[in-house]
Formats: sequence, C-alpha cells, structure tokens
Amino acid sequence: MSISHRGIDRRQLMLATGAAGIAVAIGKSTSAQEASSGSVRVGVSEDGYRTDERANIGFFPLNTNIFESLVYLTPDYQIEPLLAESWEFVEPSTWRLKLREGVSFHDGTPFNAEAVKYTMDRIASNGGGVMGIGEESAVIVDDSTIEITPTYVNMRMMEQIGHPNNSILPPGLNPAESRNGTGPFREVEYVAADHYTVEANPEYWGESGAGVGEITFQFYADPTARLLALQAGDVDLIVDVPRQSASEVEAAGATLVSGPVGAYEAMYMNIHGVEPYDLGQDIAVREAVSIAIDRQQVIDSAWQGNAEPGTTMIPPAILGDSASLVSAPEFDPERAREVLEAAGWVEGEGGVREKDGRALNLTIINGYGTAADHGSVPELIQAQLGDIGIDLEIIQTPDTATYEQRLGLGEGDLWLEAGSQNDGNPAFLPELLFRSPEEGGEPEATAYGRAFATGEEFDTTITRSREATDIAEVQEAAAEAMNIVINEERVVTPLCGFYRIIGHTDAVASFDLHASGVNQRWTSLTLAE
Amino acid sequence: MVQFVLRRLLYLVPVWIGISLVAFLLANLAPGDPARLALQRALGRQPTGAETAAAREQMGLNDSPPVQYLNWLGNALTGDLGLSYRTGKPVLESLVERFPTTLQIAGGGLLLAIAIAIPLGVLAAVYRRGPIDHLSRVVALLGASMPSYWVAYLLILLFSVRLGMLPVAGSQTWQHAVMPALTLGIGGSASLMRLTRSEMLETLGQDYIRTARAKGLHSRTLLVRHALRNTMIPISTVLGMRFAGMLGGAVIVETIFSWPGIGKLVVDAIFDRDYPMIQGFVIFMGTAFLLINLIVDIGYGLIDPRIRLARR
Repeated sequence: MSISHRGIDRRQLMLATGAAGIAVAIGKSTSAQEASSGSVRVGVSEDGYRTDERANIGFFPLNTNIFESLVYLTPDYQIEPLLAESWEFVEPSTWRLKLREGVSFHDGTPFNAEAVKYTMDRIASNGGGVMGIGEESAVIVDDSTIEITPTYVNMRMMEQIGHPNNSILPPGLNPAESRNGTGPFREVEYVAADHYTVEANPEYWGESGAGVGEITFQFYADPTARLLALQAGDVDLIVDVPRQSASEVEAAGATLVSGPVGAYEAMYMNIHGVEPYDLGQDIAVREAVSIAIDRQQVIDSAWQGNAEPGTTMIPPAILGDSASLVSAPEFDPERAREVLEAAGWVEGEGGVREKDGRALNLTIINGYGTAADHGSVPELIQAQLGDIGIDLEIIQTPDTATYEQRLGLGEGDLWLEAGSQNDGNPAFLPELLFRSPEEGGEPEATAYGRAFATGEEFDTTITRSREATDIAEVQEAAAEAMNIVINEERVVTPLCGFYRIIGHTDAVASFDLHASGVNQRWTSLTLAE
Repeated sequence: MVQFVLRRLLYLVPVWIGISLVAFLLANLAPGDPARLALQRALGRQPTGAETAAAREQMGLNDSPPVQYLNWLGNALTGDLGLSYRTGKPVLESLVERFPTTLQIAGGGLLLAIAIAIPLGVLAAVYRRGPIDHLSRVVALLGASMPSYWVAYLLILLFSVRLGMLPVAGSQTWQHAVMPALTLGIGGSASLMRLTRSEMLETLGQDYIRTARAKGLHSRTLLVRHALRNTMIPISTVLGMRFAGMLGGAVIVETIFSWPGIGKLVVDAIFDRDYPMIQGFVIFMGTAFLLINLIVDIGYGLIDPRIRLARR
C-alpha cells in the first residue's frame, strides 16, 4: 500500500489564476512583504504561554505566526502543504515527507530535514503525543527529505502534524529563550501577561506574506474588558467576542465578523451507569431526550443567535462531502412524550413521569470546558426536558478536573461538553469518547468509554476511519460512526456549532477568520487606507 | 522592643508549617491529577497515559503524600519552594516577581481608602445627623454594596470609554494602575468610613474630650490630636487586615485589568492543582500577614504611649 499527496503550491496557483488582480483590488502589490506597513493592536485572551522546557511561546495558544508547521489546516479542515511540499505513506508504518527548499528561519538558518528531526525529537522527549513520535521516529534521508515512523501505525499523522504545537524549530532552539521560526511574522517583543508584538518578516518565503507591518497582541484575561478595550479604542480588533455580548460590538459602531464553525456543544448520555445513574440504559429515555431539545431556542436564548444548530460533536466541515450523511435528531416534543408513554413512563406527581414506582429523574453534569462556557444552556435543557415529564437536576462542577473525576466514577446521567477541533483528524474525538474501553488503555478514553461506548459496530466503523488511506473514506467512516452514536444509539445530542466572532474598528480593512483559533493566519489582516 | 519583634518573628515558623500542611492536605484532597492538568495546558490537548506517567515521575507525584510534603518542607527550609507545575518557573521567583505588582495596587487602594474614609468618617461624627453624615452613609452604602467587578466596569466605562483618559487594562505604565487601585480603594473605604465614624462618636463622648473642650482647646487640635489619635488603634487594626486582604484577594480586579499580580497567580494555580505554587503562596501570604500585623502592633505603641509602657 502506498498513498501519496503531491502538494500544489496554493500560492503559486493563486498567482497563476490572477492573484495580481486580487492584490490590486485590495490595494496591495503582489509582493505582500513590500506592502507590509502600519500597525494593528489586537485584543486577545489571557497569556497562556509556558516558559519552561516545554515552552510554547509564539505558537500556542496564541499563534503569532512566527513559527510554521509542515502542513496547513485550512478553515474547512482540509490539509495543504506548508513546510512540507508533499508526502507519502511507505509500508509498513513510515511517512516520507519532501520538504520545501529555499526556506530560511528568521536568523538565516536554512530550514531542512535536520530542523524537522530536531522538532520531532523534542516532541518525543515530551512524550510523543497522539502522533506517537518516538526517539527513533525521525530519520533524515537527505537535506529535503525526512521519514517519520510513529511508534504505532498512524495513518492520521499528516492530519495531526499540522497543529501549531508541532511547529518546526531550528536545531537547538529553546523557545523559552528566543523565538526563531520560518513564519510571515517575527518577534519584536514579548512581555509575559501583557503583550506580544510581532513584525512582518520581509524575507518570508511565501508570496502571501504579512498584510500589515506590525501586530501587537494585547492580553485581556477578562472578555468584557476586551470588549471595552475595543469600545475605548485601545485596540483595533478583538478576537473571541463573548457570544452573549456580540451585539454590543455593533452597537459601539464596530464591525462584527463571524467565521466558519470550528467548535461544538453537545450532551452525552451515560448508558452504562449504575443506580441512580442507570436510566440512560433505556433507549426510550435516550430517544426522548434527543428529540426534546429545541436547538434553536438554545441558540436564541443562551447564545443570542450567535451559533448554528449542531449536527455532530465536531465541525461538519471536517467530514467533507460526507457531512450530509449526519444529521441531528429533529425537535419533536410530542413524539418524545409518545416514546416515553410507550416505554411505560407515565405521568406521575408534579408532572414527572414514573415507571414501576421510580420517577424519571436525571442529572446533568456541567463543567467541560468550564461550567461558565455553557451559560444558561443547562437551565434551558432543564426546562425543555421538564416539558416532556423529565425532572433534571443540574450539577455544576467547579473545574474540569472535578468533572473528569465525576465522569470516571460514572456519577451522572447527562454530560454537557464544549470543545474545538484544531487538527484535521475527524476520527479523533469520536474514538476518544465512544470506543469500548480496553484493558490498560488511555485513562481518559477509558473513562469516556465506560460511560458512553456503544459497542462493536461503532468500534469497527471508527477503526475503519482511523486506518483508511483515502481521506474521503476517513470522512465517510467517521460520519457513519457519528450516525451510530447520534441517531441509532442516541448517546449524543448535538446542541450547537460555534463559530468564532471578532470585532474590529474601521482601521481594519479585512481579516479572514479561521474556524480554529490556534490555526489562525494573521497574514490576511489588512489596514484601511 | 527588639525582643518583642524577635518573638513575633519566631511565631512564623510554626505558622509556616501549619498553614503549608493545611494547604497541602486541601490541595491533595481536591480531585484531579496535577501532572495531567499541567500537560494539558502545555500541550493544548489531552496528554497520553505515557506522557502523564512520565510527568508524574518527574514531579515526584508517585511518592506517598507524607514523603511529598516532607520533601517539599525540607527544600522550603533552604529557601527552595520548588518549581511551579503550571509554568515550570521557580515558585519563589514567580511570587517575588508578582508581589510588587499587587503591592502597587493594594498600596494605592489602601491610601485611597484612607483618604476617603477617615476624613469623611471624622466629619460624619462631628456633624452627626447633618448633611455630611447622610452623605457619608450613602457613600458607605454604595461602596459596600457594589461588588468590585461592577465598580471596575463602571470605572472603565467612565475613564476609558467615555473620557479616554486611562487604558482599559495592562500593566506597562502608571496609568494602568489607577483604576485597579481605585476599585480596591472604593471597596475598602466603606467599612473603614463607618468604623471611623462610630469610633469617633464614642471618643468624642469621653470625659477627657469634654474636659479638653471645657479648657478651651482648639477644636482642630482636639479632633486631630486627642480624638482621632485615640480612634486610630481599632482603625489601624482594620487597616492592617484590609491591606492583607487586598494583597491576597485582588484576583477579580487583577483579572479584569489584566494586572499580573499574585491573586491571579494563585487562583490559576488552584485550578491547575499546582501544589508547589499553592503552598508557596500560603507561606508567602502568611508571612506578609504576620509582618503587617507586627507593623500594626508596633504602630500601637507609637499611637498610644500607654501600650509602649505596658510592654515594658
């Protein structure tokens, strides 16, 4: 078996198809580097950089585009060549990558296979991650060719390797001490917890370099303060505007821009719980819950309309053409009541249904990412389930660690989660959450599996997705797997698809918003004349 | 006096051990694996079991809790408070780095609280039931009932959005410190004002004040030298407590104003189960608390010579 991807240089393609005209239209020359001028102040969330040996300054969680990965994750979750021009899988378990030539780091050090090996070895020394990079994984073939052999047969490595955490460093670089990448911006100043300033890299290898001369990222831990900073004119652009207060951006005369969906909110049901958390074992209860939720009301009330009805628990775009194969159960409270009636859950005291003397009381656990991430969603779900005779108790955990501990103990019926997709692997999250637990498996997967795993059919399907060679097959199998947990087993009730929201003043002319914040390219940011 | 100070400083040792042990036990009782949380934050994804196991070994979390505590205590006695799980930096370095920034806004807040509360409290007592007394009651009521985050947003709306005078948040210039200090000061002045008023009223009713007034002492001298000075003992006690509270509890203000202080540092540490940072913080703040109380105690002697004589 051998698969390959011959990368098309999308920048060259753009040029060939009339990039000159586009550049003139936006007031830039075709050489973006020459046109880079002006400065922009951007309000971002709090400084999350580490400063020790695992330093991630400049690439995660705020990706300042100083560094670049081997591949680029497009806003619709497909991968494109970046520092790797092409790649192929070589039996039994090796990926051979052809690297881009003529690229240099900011200090002039040439980018080559040695840099990739140094980066992979660094990942290995930190544990190897989900890609399974080991100490012997990276082998230099020649200056522009490298082979990477993960510690397990990893067919999804190329979809994972584009995460900014895997950005390529020059040999010997400790990012805690200095930041030196191949990206369109280079560091000017980093003041921990206050701001990060970068400037356009005039030597950038790509045609579409920085659209502005300098960007200062100002850290605001508090989202409301970030919004007020835009209103006060302290910054020209803010990212991740709180959904509930997005309208205030426009009220203040600024422009509100939303991007494609890159995050989700969903509710999972414990189907292996023991009393009192065993009601999810009843498929009728699961089905009733899944069709009793009015997503549009959740979006309108909790998120002020700033979300889309969820169809899966990952961004649909990552499923490519197979996205249409998955749909969320339709809101039908009347049918939900019928399902419960047919299963013997009849209306009891106070409108709460009962069966064999047991009331239909469920518990929802709110705390992942944080309880605050879900706003008033638990209360809305409580009201909607109350309409069909289900009594819902809301338990809010103080932090994620407490949530996970509770999940490990199986103490809850419904689990409310939100998250984002930051790489191109559609199989990752479904597999993590719903694969049957294995002896000695990963602790997190084991905890989820003990609560939510549906069995062999899902396991087989998601394995097919993980091991497929063709990306369309990967996507199709992932979609089928999601159909099993959403529409057949009713373990998942998708709620919302979240898009990122930014606000900017008139100083900003254009900015292409990426679905995943950590994969944001700031090169598209241009200033008004 | 020297003996008194030395004795009070010696109290620090059992206090350090006691509070660090309580902090260690509480942190260990909280659910969550510090190694996993630290990795999750560093890697931006869920760490694998192998990664977590390696990190646990590196952090010494595989030792039994008593061994972990004794190891920490042994190092702490040599001045090494360990490395933060969250940032990887030495705990003492982080605390020393952050403490002055909190000190700036807490100190500013305290001065502001004194400047507002004491004159207004004194005037409210002197002109009891007059317009100033009513005004001070309203001010105190507002100050006590408005939560600090609300005050902070109101100040931002006024000084940044409306007037454009001050930056919303940050820590690079003195202007950045104004609103955090104001927020702390407004919150701190309410109870102080009421205390000043009630203490002044009590003092003004004393026989020696009546005697001094009968002897024709100038009212300003009477108020400042005799009445206010005697009310300063309970006020300075409360000031000391409030200042210590501002140092350790300015987390909301620090978050809103992106002020990189010690309060935000420890709250982040609690969420990440960063044991070394939590223990380092309680040691640091316990020391600060005791030192502030020591200064207040010494101040008693300066305010009231009878206390100095009694100590002798």
